[in-house]
Amino acid sequence: MSKESFSQISPSEFFYRNRDLAGFSNPTRSLYTSVREFVENALDACDQKKILPDIHMSIKAVDSEQSDPKHYVLTVKDNGPGIDPKHVPHAFGTVLYGSKFGLKQARGMFGLGATMAILYGQITTNKPVTVKSCSDDKTADEFVMLLDIQKNKPVILKHNTKEASKTGLSVSIVLEGDYSKAGSKIRDYVSQTSLITPYASITFEDPSGEKFHYPRIVKEMPSPPTIIKPHPHGVDVETIRRMIVDTHYQIPAVDNKMIEKVRKELGQKKNLTNKDILERAQKKWSDLSRPVRTIIAVMSFLNVDFDGLKKIRIDDLDVANKRLTYWDFGEAQSHAIDLDPESPYYKQLANTVQGDTLLTFLTKRFQRVGPTTAEKFCEFAKLKPERRIGSMTNEELVRLADALQKFDDFLAPDPSCLAPLGEEPLSKGIMKFFNPEFASVIQRSASAYSGFPFVVEMGVAYGGDIPSTGLKVYRFANRIPLLYDEGSDVVLKIVNEMDWSRYKVKGDPPLVIVSHICSTRIPYKTVGKENVADRPELERELKNALQFLARKLAVHMSRQGAADMAKKRANLYAKYVPLISQFVTELSGKKKEPNYKQLIKMGSEIEEQIQ
Amino acid sequence: MKNKSNKQKTAETRKANLLSVLEKHGINIYDDLDKGKFPQFVIPSRSVNNIVYDKKIRQYILGNASAIRSSRNMSQLRSYTQLTWLAFFVNRLVREGKSSTLRDIYYSSQAFSIDFEDQPESDNIIVDLEAVTSSPREEFHIFPEERSSVFGDLTIEYTVPGYEGKRVNLSDHPDGYLIGPSLSSAELVDTSAELVIAIEKGGLFTRFVEENVHKKFKSIIVDTAGQAPRSTRSLLKRLNQELGLPVVILADGDVYGEHIAMVIKSGSANAAHLRELTVPDAKWLGVWATDIEKYKLPTIPMTESDIKRIYDLQKDPRYQEGNWKKQLEVFLKLKRKAELEAFSKYGLTNITDKYLPAKLEESKSL
Repeated sequence: MSKESFSQISPSEFFYRNRDLAGFSNPTRSLYTSVREFVENALDACDQKKILPDIHMSIKAVDSEQSDPKHYVLTVKDNGPGIDPKHVPHAFGTVLYGSKFGLKQARGMFGLGATMAILYGQITTNKPVTVKSCSDDKTADEFVMLLDIQKNKPVILKHNTKEASKTGLSVSIVLEGDYSKAGSKIRDYVSQTSLITPYASITFEDPSGEKFHYPRIVKEMPSPPTIIKPHPHGVDVETIRRMIVDTHYQIPAVDNKMIEKVRKELGQKKNLTNKDILERAQKKWSDLSRPVRTIIAVMSFLNVDFDGLKKIRIDDLDVANKRLTYWDFGEAQSHAIDLDPESPYYKQLANTVQGDTLLTFLTKRFQRVGPTTAEKFCEFAKLKPERRIGSMTNEELVRLADALQKFDDFLAPDPSCLAPLGEEPLSKGIMKFFNPEFASVIQRSASAYSGFPFVVEMGVAYGGDIPSTGLKVYRFANRIPLLYDEGSDVVLKIVNEMDWSRYKVKGDPPLVIVSHICSTRIPYKTVGKENVADRPELERELKNALQFLARKLAVHMSRQGAADMAKKRANLYAKYVPLISQFVTELSGKKKEPNYKQLIKMGSEIEEQIQ
Repeated sequence: MKNKSNKQKTAETRKANLLSVLEKHGINIYDDLDKGKFPQFVIPSRSVNNIVYDKKIRQYILGNASAIRSSRNMSQLRSYTQLTWLAFFVNRLVREGKSSTLRDIYYSSQAFSIDFEDQPESDNIIVDLEAVTSSPREEFHIFPEERSSVFGDLTIEYTVPGYEGKRVNLSDHPDGYLIGPSLSSAELVDTSAELVIAIEKGGLFTRFVEENVHKKFKSIIVDTAGQAPRSTRSLLKRLNQELGLPVVILADGDVYGEHIAMVIKSGSANAAHLRELTVPDAKWLGVWATDIEKYKLPTIPMTESDIKRIYDLQKDPRYQEGNWKKQLEVFLKLKRKAELEAFSKYGLTNITDKYLPAKLEESKSL
């Protein structure tokens, strides 16, 4: 069953009209968003294949004499696995074509952004995108192409193949941008990306030719996330509908291959009549495979032979209403026929289309749901466990989705789909990046909100090279720096709610907080994906992480305070004891000063009394 | 004629006593340093809790509580050093016969790397040394800026350098003599006076001299210039103790005037650590609240702060009985006050001719 409705409005057309939504609202924001999309794609590609990323990014003005906003060439090159040349045109020339539909943590979602950037470049400059890809260490394919916005199809202008020695992908677009305004954000983005991706080497060459190089700090990559089944709390009605459609027992596509298969299982005879087919099928029924049985059941209702079958396309099998809808290519119109529920073939079809029982559906299609939990749930949802999911009415599906959200006895989501950075790489990144006098990191254990697992990683750094300009928060989500809309972010809210004086932090401290939230779905507040909303579960984890780190910091501060105090004490005694000595020598009428040296030493060694 | 020359020279004695106390502290600190011990000062506590009224000696005194200022405590090391410096500096001042002011001390400290943050800090250290040595700062040769005056037949002998042994009679100059460092440190030699009249106002002081009050009443006249400075109170005390002269006080007819008299008589809470400043037998002649009606004096209304001050003083243990209590009540009832000058309504000499003799007579029965 294909989702025809998806392509009836071209996604390219849709995004073209709604580009503000995806972060392409003006030349400044668009340049920044394009950089993000390409860099994140490059990092994701390397992560998936466990390749230590080597990213080169450059922004060059087409005509540097012009004033902003003007045309820029943005090029991002990686050492990832590359893309098979036959997928390149679709991957970069079609909106909604991507490999990121699985449920696991990734920087981008669905791979929409890169195509959006290409689309934006094309509509602002009318210049094609250039993609160079090598996926086999031998040859590199270069494509120069445009997007056909109405048809959502790539138009290849040029394609050539050259020899190559390393895998990797390079994407270059021309777009209208405003580097004078976007520059500081882009530089921040690149530097912060290097902080949260310490295993990557990133080089950025800006329009003036200045190079920013962030070398690799750690050689180990965090283990990649695994793709997992959804958690019951994390699905809605639409997801359930898709899961049901996505069953193994859907009506098989009727193509030549399938017809061959049916023929083969019935015996190699050609041009059997409908009657012959049914007769043979009855004899061999128990030996037939399930798809073949399904095809034969359909043929029984349509009363067609193989030739007839080739002329139609089955559109829908509505078991509940006992109707079969099909498209007749010859007549170019749709037909519907009623199914006889008394027919033995009806049962075959019904079972196939109605799919699994609810119990099986729950245990097979969701993570961490066993038969016991599934049965309890059915009772809770007031649905029969043996109910076939394919035959459930709309109201029942809504009830099912609703109950999935409300049932409290499901196990917590499986965090194996998450890929936090890990304490050691994070710590190394922070040390290298800030060169602080003190740093501490923590990775909280996985938690979940609304069925989506998440992990909070956090680090603090204090003193050293950090300027005393007050607390600064670096926010990351799924290894992406969040640079805009800081004010309304949940992390900032938690940080601001802390009573820092309780942790011996005063004034404008040289303090940095690095917060990294990993989740299969970050609860962003806006489509711009720059600020995270406050979910109670997330707030709690952030708070716990921050308090843990603040306590560590407080210990450091008191140690530091004690050391400072000792130094101050030594200075004070060195200053005042000789003065006292000088005064009392005259006061007591003596000639020679007393032997006060020992007292200076003792003074500086007194243990600090608790006041 | 009272003659004191055969008696011990008290100014000399006090000086010697102070120097020996300072030296004793110096030696103790020196020894501690030499032995590797952290020296410390024991300072009688001047906190409100430790200020009590002693009915027997009729003044505020400090209780038994004391604080230790130790060089071992880092947060006290600085003020400990400041106190040691002050003892050292006062020792020099007294030995060399030099005088200085509170402000001088603040600046002098800077020559010795003793950095007071501001003058209040150095003033505080001076009070600390007063408490440690039980001597008023005038003994340290540290004087406030304000001055008051004295006039009458009193011969003094200077002890300040350059004037040692020189004698002066305080009736020689009609404007009176400033009660300054040299007068404060002078020996009181002899007098023909039988009474000391302390008067609140400079104008009246001049009138009294013009009207020969010092002769008519055989008195020494002292201008307190408002609330009497400590050097003035110290002089009144010496006149009373060393020469055996009774002290009477004339002040404005209001709550502040009453309190000026009280402070001369029994001191202030601020100076509870000192005992050389009170004249317990001093008598408050007036102007009493009851005098306002009796002498039909022109009055002016009290302000709110005047009335508040009455309520405050009513809580003071010294105002709990007798005339002191009664006058406060009458003031509160009248809610009006009269100045000493109010007598001028009845002629400029009315106060010296009529009021003063009448009150002196009345005071005999007090």
